[in-house]
Amino acid sequence: MKPAAFDYFAPKNIEEALALLGEHGYDAKPLAGGQSLVPTMNFRLAQPTVLVDLNGIDELFFIRESGDGLRIGAMTRQRAVERSPLVQRRAPLIHETMPHIAHPQIRNRGTFGGSLAHADPASELPALAVTLDARLRVQSSRGERWVAARDFYLDLFATDMQPDELLVEIAIPDLPARTGWAFDEVARRHGDYAMAGAAATVTLAEDGTIAAARLVYLSVGDFPTQAVQAEALLTGEQPTAALIRAAAETAAAQDIDPGSDIHASADYRRHLAKVLAGRVLARAVERAKMTADDRR
Amino acid sequence: MRAVGSSIQRSDAVDKVTGRAAYAGDIDLPGQAWLAIVYAPSPHAHITRIDTAAALAAAGVLAVLTAADVPVNEYGLILPDQPVLCGPGSTVQAETVRWEADHLALVVAETAEQAQAAAKLVQVEYTALPVITDPLAALAPDATVIHPHPFSAFPYGQRDNTSNLLLEYHLRRSDVDEGFAQADVIVESTYRTHAQEHAYLQPEAGLAFVREDGRIEVIAAGQWMHEDRAQIAHTLGLPAERIVVRYPAIGGAFGGREDLSVQIVLALAAWKTGRPVKIVWSREESIRGHHKRHPFVIHAKWGATKAGKIIAAQMDVTSDAGAYAYTSTKVLGNATLMCLGPYEIPNVHVDARTVYTNNCPSGAFRGFGAPQGHFAAEGQMNKLAEALGMDPVELRMRNVIHDGSILATRSAVPAGCTAEEVLAEAARRGGWKKNGIGYWVLGSETDAAPLRNTQYPISIARGVGIALCFKNVGFSLGFPEACHAWVELHGTSAIERALVGCVGAEVGQGAHSAFAQIAAEALGLDVAQVEVVAHDTDVTGSSGSASASRMTFMAGNAILGAAQQALAQWQDEERPARADFVFHPRPTSGYDRKTGESDPNITYGYCAQVADVEVDMATGHVKVKRLISVNDVGRAVNPAQVEGQIEGAVAQSVGWTLLENFIQKDGRTLTPHLSNYLIPGVADVVEEIVPVILEVPDPQGPLGIRGMAEMPFIPTAPAIAAAIHNALGVWYNELPLTPEKVWRGLSANPFPQE
Repeated sequence: MKPAAFDYFAPKNIEEALALLGEHGYDAKPLAGGQSLVPTMNFRLAQPTVLVDLNGIDELFFIRESGDGLRIGAMTRQRAVERSPLVQRRAPLIHETMPHIAHPQIRNRGTFGGSLAHADPASELPALAVTLDARLRVQSSRGERWVAARDFYLDLFATDMQPDELLVEIAIPDLPARTGWAFDEVARRHGDYAMAGAAATVTLAEDGTIAAARLVYLSVGDFPTQAVQAEALLTGEQPTAALIRAAAETAAAQDIDPGSDIHASADYRRHLAKVLAGRVLARAVERAKMTADDRR
Repeated sequence: MRAVGSSIQRSDAVDKVTGRAAYAGDIDLPGQAWLAIVYAPSPHAHITRIDTAAALAAAGVLAVLTAADVPVNEYGLILPDQPVLCGPGSTVQAETVRWEADHLALVVAETAEQAQAAAKLVQVEYTALPVITDPLAALAPDATVIHPHPFSAFPYGQRDNTSNLLLEYHLRRSDVDEGFAQADVIVESTYRTHAQEHAYLQPEAGLAFVREDGRIEVIAAGQWMHEDRAQIAHTLGLPAERIVVRYPAIGGAFGGREDLSVQIVLALAAWKTGRPVKIVWSREESIRGHHKRHPFVIHAKWGATKAGKIIAAQMDVTSDAGAYAYTSTKVLGNATLMCLGPYEIPNVHVDARTVYTNNCPSGAFRGFGAPQGHFAAEGQMNKLAEALGMDPVELRMRNVIHDGSILATRSAVPAGCTAEEVLAEAARRGGWKKNGIGYWVLGSETDAAPLRNTQYPISIARGVGIALCFKNVGFSLGFPEACHAWVELHGTSAIERALVGCVGAEVGQGAHSAFAQIAAEALGLDVAQVEVVAHDTDVTGSSGSASASRMTFMAGNAILGAAQQALAQWQDEERPARADFVFHPRPTSGYDRKTGESDPNITYGYCAQVADVEVDMATGHVKVKRLISVNDVGRAVNPAQVEGQIEGAVAQSVGWTLLENFIQKDGRTLTPHLSNYLIPGVADVVEEIVPVILEVPDPQGPLGIRGMAEMPFIPTAPAIAAAIHNALGVWYNELPLTPEKVWRGLSANPFPQE
């Protein structure tokens, strides 16, 4: 199918884009990589009357270091993030996860900020943003504000942004010392949306206990789901296999409420959540130990 | 260079790769109008009124056609049980919709957009009827009867109009109870197989127009031109000669174009409006609107002696025909025999039936009942081997059919049976060998206990499985098989050029290249000197369908016959020398309705496969690491194309086994898109496919050639199921083997932990 008719604008800078979004409000949609919006429009599930194409706004394309981490422009292509040595060094969890996102053709076009703003509960990047305590810079003609990723996701495809606001930049803080990370997901096919996925970071204290743990799921709820009870169970304890198993069971049983669809039942998703938690936590702990050893 | 046996480039390769090949959707005719279809409002309903006034008044609309506009409102490949358009105004049969994709009305307009917009304005009033989705429930005495009216023709005697039973077959050989009494082991299981979407690259599309000579020409992909023509002519009430069917480039068929889709409605619209009319189905229309592989439920009880001889087999077979018959009766005919596998079984009792429901019609799809039948038969063989403590290859070797073996139909296996050869070759390549006393055993490198990596919590189990199949080549059970061809030789002293007329469909399998290679071989020419003429029904008589693994076999024989006669005329100084030939293979006979006694098939093809799998025991995800497919093709006309057929079949069968899941609920398709009906991508098929070609000539085949296109689909599912059992110790009897299903099986049968 083809989309319904719409007006098309191609602003050259952020200011012009914000003016257009301010003028058209709910009727407008920013067009980033188009990997979700365009199919949605073709199926007539979305019928914006105005498209504001961000692809000509050079100032939204960047990856740079800051004092405490990385700054990524919202329009940076996912493939550029995947191939960036900076990202590999300072945000290894993102580097490890990028190949799981769909297929290279989609990552060539899809953008880092587009995926975050689209807020698909099955997408990897929103879960990573929550895991890494990313902060998102949101602008409008009225001004700008920073939002923590964990406050950004409100519901299915719904974020904290107003219709006149635009996500322009993402700040990814460095991982603390002695921190390990891991990502894993289970999909029916190579490159498909996952039936369930999980990201984790684990920070070890000097005495080898877990100082902090973060475990965030995708595809098991309406938005990235942080397994807070499992995290609490891990904190302050020695990272044994038994502890990880207990945390995985807690996460699957108490932290999530997955749904059923034609690809997986809720029961199976819950089971996958347990398996994935076990796998990502175990790998994050291993890596945390390795970085602790490296620094000794 | 010999023409046959060379992997020369196929004749349509460059056009298809460069985009020059014209598929139906690529073709436009001057002055063409567009067609849109109004579909059923409910999967089962009595249509009381159709109001077309608003649609007729809409912009650009030329005509709105309903049941009253169809001269003979019934069609079907085997029996005419399907209305062209449902609703009041023609027959009682046509007043009911039985399927969500039944057509109510046709809107013809200047543009596709106008036609689609106007189609939404057609008003329908109806009374909903109970929707029947389970073939076993459909047989209950109080079930609503989906086809309570007599058909104008029914080729199987008297039909019971008070039941949803479409057809049943029975096979009886000796005494199955006596057989079980002699058995040392008996295994019993219920197997369930699922529907499959063909998912060809090109959704249905076509054009029709009235030619200057007054004939109606239909341009649309199909598998059997003359049969398409006959069905179109029947519905229009015209003699067949008034219709011309032309095949453009065809983007895959696999049985899915055996039955008609857009052809009749295009012809009707062009005839009624006098305008050329075009339609291109969306992928959603294609998935909802054409038939699927039959779901089957097969209850199996087999017995064997300690010596490893199968002594008895009892099968109860039910297939879901869906809303209309399509080729359900023919698929049932195949499954009735092939659910027994390629084995000598002295005592047999098969009851098989196909049943109407309100699901999407089931019909032809690569394998045609054999994949479903063999999933049960090969599952039973593997379980009997386990029960006997015997290697599964050794058990098969002790029972496999040979030339002259008597089948359950009490007729002999035709000469050229190589079931044992393909099995032995697959076994050797898969790691089996004969031990000191001549028994087949799995070699030491792979017969160790499944490898398990116990690094928490990842644990991979590995396994290997084998399966064997046979499949008829050509139409079965008394159908009058034939194939027309002509050969015309041009030149003066030497033959410079040959034309070959044979309208067998080039559906992407390479048939036309094979025709040219066979003709070149027979005539002693270079393939470049041979031109195949195949564009429409005027070229020559019927070739039969590009199905049943028959096209190269039948057309090859017809072309060889024509070539021989043309060469004789050439010797007699005829210029050009031309000969027509009709090939008739040896006749077969239909099942006796009580005992199944018959000579069911012309000949068979044979394939064996070995699957190596890895199962993630935590998630249930199955990965096929290697699939060896050993196929006796008699003689490979074009080895690269034969390998392509094997690899394509394996991709399709791995998809059916592990991934593809066509889901309907209350008669509605829940997976009408390729985003939720998951076909395998290249990374999901098999890490390594090993296609192995054997060339033992078939005495009936042209130059020894056998049919081979379906066979490499058939053993895959049972081979993978056997490999998963080898890995996990769990039998899976229900397809598809999704991760969730494998996980559930594991949870119910925990693997022994270290």
